[in-house]
Amino acid sequence: MQRTFFKQGAEAKLERCTFYGKPCLVKERFRKQYRHAVLDKSLTTQRIKSEVRAMLRCRTNGIKTPTIFMVDMETNSIYMEYVEPSITVREFIADVQQNQAGDCPLLALAEQIGQIIGKAHQSNIIHGDLTTSNMLLAQKFQGDAQSTEKFTPADILQKNIQDLEVVLIDFGLTALEGTPEDKGVDLYVLERALLSTHPNTDHVFEAILMSYKKNNPRGAAEVVKKLDEVRLRGRKRTMVG
Amino acid sequence: MAEKKFHHALYPDTTIILALFRDVENAKEVRQAVMSGKFDASLLKASMIVDEFLVTVAANKAVHSQRCGKMITKTVHSEILYNLSAGRKITEAFKKIGISDTDTSVLVAIAGEEEKVLQSLQALKSVIKGRQVSLDELSSLADLSAVRKEYKLTDVELSSCSPVGAIASRIAAKDIITV
Ligand SMILES: Nc1ncnc2c1ncn2[C@@H]1O[C@H](COP(=O)(O)OP(=O)(O)OP(=O)(O)O)[C@@H](O)[C@H]1O
Repeated sequence: MQRTFFKQGAEAKLERCTFYGKPCLVKERFRKQYRHAVLDKSLTTQRIKSEVRAMLRCRTNGIKTPTIFMVDMETNSIYMEYVEPSITVREFIADVQQNQAGDCPLLALAEQIGQIIGKAHQSNIIHGDLTTSNMLLAQKFQGDAQSTEKFTPADILQKNIQDLEVVLIDFGLTALEGTPEDKGVDLYVLERALLSTHPNTDHVFEAILMSYKKNNPRGAAEVVKKLDEVRLRGRKRTMVG
Repeated sequence: MAEKKFHHALYPDTTIILALFRDVENAKEVRQAVMSGKFDASLLKASMIVDEFLVTVAANKAVHSQRCGKMITKTVHSEILYNLSAGRKITEAFKKIGISDTDTSVLVAIAGEEEKVLQSLQALKSVIKGRQVSLDELSSLADLSAVRKEYKLTDVELSSCSPVGAIASRIAAKDIITV
């Protein structure tokens, strides 16, 4: 199997290949040299298991994540579907802002993001690293009517947001049960990531929260209360220096 | 040559062959031939397999488990069958995914060293009384409601992904997810 280098992350090396004809991404976690070998192996195994479990639990709750093709504990690798064509939400927002395409696409996107995180939290999945790079935008799944039309990532930018779907990736820091506090922190991480990566997106985060509340009706109030507390702590910390 | 041949993703010296037969008249005899060791193969109920990709995922995993000494079952061919089933009971796996004496559509998977695999395929072809067809016919043979029941696929899950994606993920993660 021919593998080509794709990306180097903080925790893992990403490579591209084809897996029995399907576009595939291999995520291989590497050893942490500063950790004792046996401990490192057992922590890595646990991480991979959590990651895979979260991806499957997302799917069964209607949140799109890449299909898993193989888990290889010998090399600490997950082989998964390479979602293509796709662009990151980060690229999408940057493009909308650069072309001054107005707020409509951003608010429609926020609606989808809030929906996904709301559903995830309702199913007790904490993503742990919600950034706009860890969400992909791909063609919406249409069942049997799936069109076979080939398009490029650039074409995605021309599509109506209603025809696109957010795919959640990188569950490397996930946790599979969480207190309202953990969920509040999950949202806070996203807020910080969004505002620091994309200027003038406060209203986008507000729209995400609105949609989140709709989609996690039982838990949202308490989570948002925690979010406010975490925000306050965050602010104090920056004031102190 | 309606069968398909793949090299294992990690072990290129291992070959995986898939072949589909319809109008099979002697499923019982074929099954007995495998059980008596005439040739090695997984005999799969075609109606339970929505896509050939799922068999490659299961066979890929079975061969890898074999190489790592981590098989749950005794042979790579029963391991393929086990991997394809949703549960953890081997006898249940054979009942649900393996062919029964009355089945007329049989999907065959054979994995191993190329020469041996081809020999097994020849031996199978000499025993089976049926018509070999293209693997493309698989989707038309699927019993979707039985498949949905076996893998507990819900409308919610199928709203965002195909049965193939849902089932492939379950096979790949079988030893990790707790059901
Ligand atoms: N399944 C996939 N399909 C398509 N692209 C992907 C997929 N997974 C990851 N990518 C791309 O690779 C990038 C990095 O992936 P990911 O975040 O999973 O790796 P990582 O090693 O955890 O990275 P980091 O340490 O930077 O967070 C993503 O932002 C995305 O652009």
